[in-house]
Amino acid sequence: MAEAKDGLPILPHVAGEFYVWLWWASEQQSGRFDLGDPVGAVDAWIDDRLAFRLPSETRVSAIMTGDDAPDAMESRAALAGGKVVNELRLAIKRDDREFSVTLKGPAMHLGQAKLPAMVTEGGEEVVFERMHLYEELCLIVAGLFRHYAAVRASPAWEVDVVPALRRWVVGEG
Amino acid sequence: MGILSGALSGARFRVEGDLPAGFRGVFRDRLNATAFQEPPQGQGKEEVEGWVLTQNLLDTDFTDLNRWLIQDYALLALRVDKKRLPARLFRATLEKRVQVWCAERGLERCPAAVKNELKDNLEAEWLARSLPSVGVTEAVWSIEGRYLVLGTHSESTTDRFRKRFLQTFGLHLVPWSPLDWLATSADVEALIAQVPADVSLGGA
Repeated sequence: MAEAKDGLPILPHVAGEFYVWLWWASEQQSGRFDLGDPVGAVDAWIDDRLAFRLPSETRVSAIMTGDDAPDAMESRAALAGGKVVNELRLAIKRDDREFSVTLKGPAMHLGQAKLPAMVTEGGEEVVFERMHLYEELCLIVAGLFRHYAAVRASPAWEVDVVPALRRWVVGEG
Repeated sequence: MGILSGALSGARFRVEGDLPAGFRGVFRDRLNATAFQEPPQGQGKEEVEGWVLTQNLLDTDFTDLNRWLIQDYALLALRVDKKRLPARLFRATLEKRVQVWCAERGLERCPAAVKNELKDNLEAEWLARSLPSVGVTEAVWSIEGRYLVLGTHSESTTDRFRKRFLQTFGLHLVPWSPLDWLATSADVEALIAQVPADVSLGGA
């Protein structure tokens, strides 16, 4: 594939599908994902924020916040009504390290990333440690995205995942 | 953007281009050459920009590598100063000055050339006594990792930063795509080839 002048394309529908798949898969698997090398097993679940937009727009049109945001009827209703997930707050646990991050928009910007406080004193050490943790967070999110991409490009997407997603959206799964 | 503490946010870029031999020294010299410099008295409305240290926007000396380079992570901030005049108040004051000029000469109208001169004088007078608005955009650059996290999502600020980064380091900042996370170009092709799911599944 020819690479665009400014790098690989940013495809809005890919982000929207990934967000929904992640939301659904985390519920189906009780938050447990085995992502293989180099990530391994992680727990990941939708935390306290979901934002939706209309497919034809870029602005957010509905926001659900609070601990019950992913479970709220209004959240699934937004999907059933044709809205697209534009951002979500993700909580992650890998071994004893806990992260949370907002995945935002078609570019999946990592926003408001809360990193485990492993080192808290000493300017250089703090920066070095935080950047390592940021890279670990990127590694995990990348692992989740690769997992989605593999499922998305497989026959199982149409045969198993889409029907299950449809049932889930209307509260039957 | 939360490099030292708090929540870390920013837009991610790939850094493309070849690092020069002895890049630490080369980058130190280039940063010093393009660091922010206080403009002379009488700065106009033009923008003034340059690199500053993240610790303090008044620190512009990059000679000590330990102040901005931690292992292979470079901490940078681009400072942009711009003076702005309050447009409505400026217009009203200029109109009063034009009226005074006419009254002193018993004229009803002020020639355009005179009005322009009055405007230039008033602008210079106000700019001399006004402080600039100061914008600082922080970034952390993993030199070995060839990526940079920029503490803004603003398109115009990002464009300015990318341009200044290229001028300073000779390296391109390429917007990062989620597809960059995929392992191979075959994986990218396979994902792009899929027809978007219908909207009730979050597809656009």
